[in-house]
Amino acid sequence: MAPAGGSVAGDQSTLNYARHINYWRRNLKTFLPHHYTGNDSNRMTFALFILSALDLLGDLQAALSAEERQGYIEWVYHCQLPEGCFRATPGTDFGSSRNAENKIWDPAHVPGTYFALLILALLGDDLKRVKRREILLWLTKVQRPDGSFGETVGENGQVEGGNDPRFGYMGTGIRWILRGHAEGPVDGVPDIDVDSFVECVRRSETYDGGITEAAFHEAHAGFAACAINALYFVNRLPLPSTPSQTSDSRPRGVSNLPLTLHWLASRQTLTLEHEDAMDTLGYETDTSAACHDSHSFVKLKSYPSTAGVQSFQDLPKSQSELQWVGLNGRCNKIADTCYAFWVSTPLKLLGHLDLVDIKPIRRWLLDRTQHMVGGFGKLPGDPPDIYHSYLGLMVLAIFGEAGLKDVDPALCMSNRVKEHLESLPWRREIVGN
Amino acid sequence: MPPKYYSDDTAWADVTPLPQDEGGPHPLAAINYTEEYSEAMSYLRALMAANEFSARALSLTEHIISMNPAHYTVWLYRAKVLEQTGGDLREEIEWLNPTALQHLKNYQIWHHRQTIIDKLGSPEGEADFISTMLEQDTKNYHVWSYRQWLVKRFGIFDEKELKWTEGMIEEDVRNNSAWNHRYYIVVGGRDGEAVSKDIITREIDYAEAAIRKAPQNQSPWNYLRGIVRYAKLPDSTLKDFALEFADLEKPDDVYSSHALDLLADIYAEEDGKKEEAKKALDLLATKYDPIKANYWNYRKGLLDQAEVAA
Repeated sequence: MAPAGGSVAGDQSTLNYARHINYWRRNLKTFLPHHYTGNDSNRMTFALFILSALDLLGDLQAALSAEERQGYIEWVYHCQLPEGCFRATPGTDFGSSRNAENKIWDPAHVPGTYFALLILALLGDDLKRVKRREILLWLTKVQRPDGSFGETVGENGQVEGGNDPRFGYMGTGIRWILRGHAEGPVDGVPDIDVDSFVECVRRSETYDGGITEAAFHEAHAGFAACAINALYFVNRLPLPSTPSQTSDSRPRGVSNLPLTLHWLASRQTLTLEHEDAMDTLGYETDTSAACHDSHSFVKLKSYPSTAGVQSFQDLPKSQSELQWVGLNGRCNKIADTCYAFWVSTPLKLLGHLDLVDIKPIRRWLLDRTQHMVGGFGKLPGDPPDIYHSYLGLMVLAIFGEAGLKDVDPALCMSNRVKEHLESLPWRREIVGN
Repeated sequence: MPPKYYSDDTAWADVTPLPQDEGGPHPLAAINYTEEYSEAMSYLRALMAANEFSARALSLTEHIISMNPAHYTVWLYRAKVLEQTGGDLREEIEWLNPTALQHLKNYQIWHHRQTIIDKLGSPEGEADFISTMLEQDTKNYHVWSYRQWLVKRFGIFDEKELKWTEGMIEEDVRNNSAWNHRYYIVVGGRDGEAVSKDIITREIDYAEAAIRKAPQNQSPWNYLRGIVRYAKLPDSTLKDFALEFADLEKPDDVYSSHALDLLADIYAEEDGKKEEAKKALDLLATKYDPIKANYWNYRKGLLDQAEVAA
């Protein structure tokens, strides 16, 4: 681990609000640099991150004029398709040339629709111009027979897009936004198959307690979070195990909660930089006292050489190493800002965020991956990018960082936005009060 | 390569490009596109809108993919063009190889490859290409996922695949993707048929040997316990093995935190051994794995609850 810049405790670890606000306002008001071209198809996602970051920082009101706010709302509605649902970018829009034959190249998009709905809610729109019924009908078509969700519906009703729990997360998120936890038909529109979705998540649980994208793939925190968020959206997380509680007959996930908690807690790591991942098998310094999860941790010989003792003395002791703890996405991988979010969110939703020590995780984010120009990078020293900057900020909000808004970890938005959604009259009619 | 512009090219003179419409003065997440990308996208929209399936459409998708491989309909469109023009699928794979190497984190590429190889009906050459990809990143998630698909599609849950996986584990005993792949080969390909006792023993021996090489490596411990759980054997099956690395009588002589974790579970199940279980968890929380102290203390709390309930 690289030496700290003269720091001992975390008192000086601070979120630099002004810099973050600058960073996000720049993303809002100026063109993103062309190296974001590879994300041209994720524009709706990035739009939400930019606006929501300013919301978390309490700067949204100040950042937007009434005209801009309305203009952004119109931009989102401009991405609504004539048949309902949203495209993720204006890049696929054929304008007046769009017709029944070519619209398969400009399809309704699951992430596009999820983030469009959230942006509208964030900007205070009432979603009345959203073709909500059409979206709910389409949701049943973008779900595969095995319960999983795709990204789009293609030719002949073929569900397109890979096996990716992100689509299940956002598909069930759309359902929650439009109809809460109501199960069964609403207004004559059939529901998705919730039971088969839950079975699909259960099949994706791994031998080590993680969750992955499809049966037998490697456990991955991003996929675990998507699966658990989705179970939260369809109200199928495990019931709290009190002695009086009898289980209901509905399928629920995850199937082995203690093992999944073990796996999530095991994502805490001291491998924060590439050099931390060096295997020290056979090194004299490789002992439990210098315990490092990536080390081989063999027993020091009874009579270490002087050189061995000296090099051991230079190593940080475990107490000081605990100054920073990162979170990784998979076993034996390096910590990464975004996994702080992907690991903390499911823990929070499962009611067990206290299984990780948020203080050193917070310090790692603030001292190591927070960037001096604002935003967060993926690894220490990396330049900030929209994705890591948003999830870094969001996880600090989940930790209760002073000055950031209260958030809903599953929606990945402030509670203010959630409450706005919940207050909409058309939604209250469906969900009840 | 110099930028490619279509407006200067007579082969495209019959196409009227469709410029991007942002729908007003307030676009969100607007990108400072290069002129080259903007123009190519305008031609792509024009071709898609006309449902043109042609050789030039194929080359245009290639151009777009080189700048934005995550475009979600350009791949579907390309697949349709290939189908309609009777494109050579082997050539498609030849083109995909360097494209995948350029965009290591993109998954649409793998989905497309899967579609093509499925149509070709042969995994020939795929193992070599996967090796080339893994040389760049031995834990590339998409590559391992793709390999699982190959194994399943062509029914190759065989000795050769197991040997290859062993080679990957030998190269890096901490490569969790390789361990996971082994589990897939051993347990995943059986269509509900139980794994024989001999194979369970072989797998336990294999994981134990790997742990003896590097006792603090989580991957084989997870694997070992996963196999034991799959075979419905009690954790106590592993007690003697765990004691090789952690003996509560010698708390300064612990070689692996994962052995302590396992011992805590074993003692929790044994009659009258709650105190030993707590001692193992205490050693973890205070000395051998303090970054997870909260978790170990939670486990200790569960032991107390169990006592109260009993």
